[in-house]
Amino acid sequence: MNDWQRKSPLDWETYVNKMVKVAAIEKHEYEGWVLTIDPVSASIVLATFLENEKVSISVVLGHAVQEVEILKEGDDEMKQRLSCIFAPEESKAYSPEELEKRKNDLKTWLETNHIPVTEQGELGRTLCVAGVLTIDPPYSPEECSSSNEIILSRVQGLIQGYLEKQQ
Amino acid sequence: AAMPVPVPAGVLRLPRGPEGSSRGFSPTSPRFQALQGGDVAAQGVRAALRQRYLRGLAAARGRPTRFCLREGVWVDAVFGAADVDAVAFQVDALRTPLGVQAAALLRCADVLAYSFLL
Repeated sequence: MNDWQRKSPLDWETYVNKMVKVAAIEKHEYEGWVLTIDPVSASIVLATFLENEKVSISVVLGHAVQEVEILKEGDDEMKQRLSCIFAPEESKAYSPEELEKRKNDLKTWLETNHIPVTEQGELGRTLCVAGVLTIDPPYSPEECSSSNEIILSRVQGLIQGYLEKQQ
Repeated sequence: AAMPVPVPAGVLRLPRGPEGSSRGFSPTSPRFQALQGGDVAAQGVRAALRQRYLRGLAAARGRPTRFCLREGVWVDAVFGAADVDAVAFQVDALRTPLGVQAAALLRCADVLAYSFLL
């Protein structure tokens, strides 16, 4: 384990949303905006914006990291842009207002059917059903996550039926 | 009458977990220490960082990826999956000098970096 892998999550967090230069073993160098650092492997996920609107993602494995130098801080616009990079394609098809409405409509419908639901996460974008299942934008069956397969499939079925009735 | 000889079941050998044959947490790993409690703030940050990373892995699935290995070697493949303990990557259509492997495992210890386009 190297020094980079031994850092605490709070340390790693200080690099997120910053433009960095990573010096890796065998004289490799990588530059980009830090999206995240995997706490399990200490791997650094970097994003580079290309001219043709595409984004190049590079992941430097934790065991290969020698030094990380912060080049600059991301402004709010960059932070927003970075937080959406891994968002599912479908959520990019909706405006923030549309996503908010979809979330509220679904939340209301779940409450009407006596299913406990709360909002959580930064910006309250994620719905949490019965404390065991989360739904991310754009609130379709594919965006459900749970460690309980039975609840997952039941809720996916409910949402599928709800969306079909909406059409 | 003699019993028919049972046909041996195929065994799928997966990369070893951190403790050899078990798949549990190594007690000395930072992950296990975090599981034991301790700093609540750090655990929240850990979870947020890990979630973003997992979404990154999901985004990589099915995309042509270049893996940078040791000694200046790189290979192209289609990203398949990563395991929970960061031991190996599963890839499809791995292009090697000997031809294309339909499916393969790359050990994380052999990979320095990988990249793909979104």
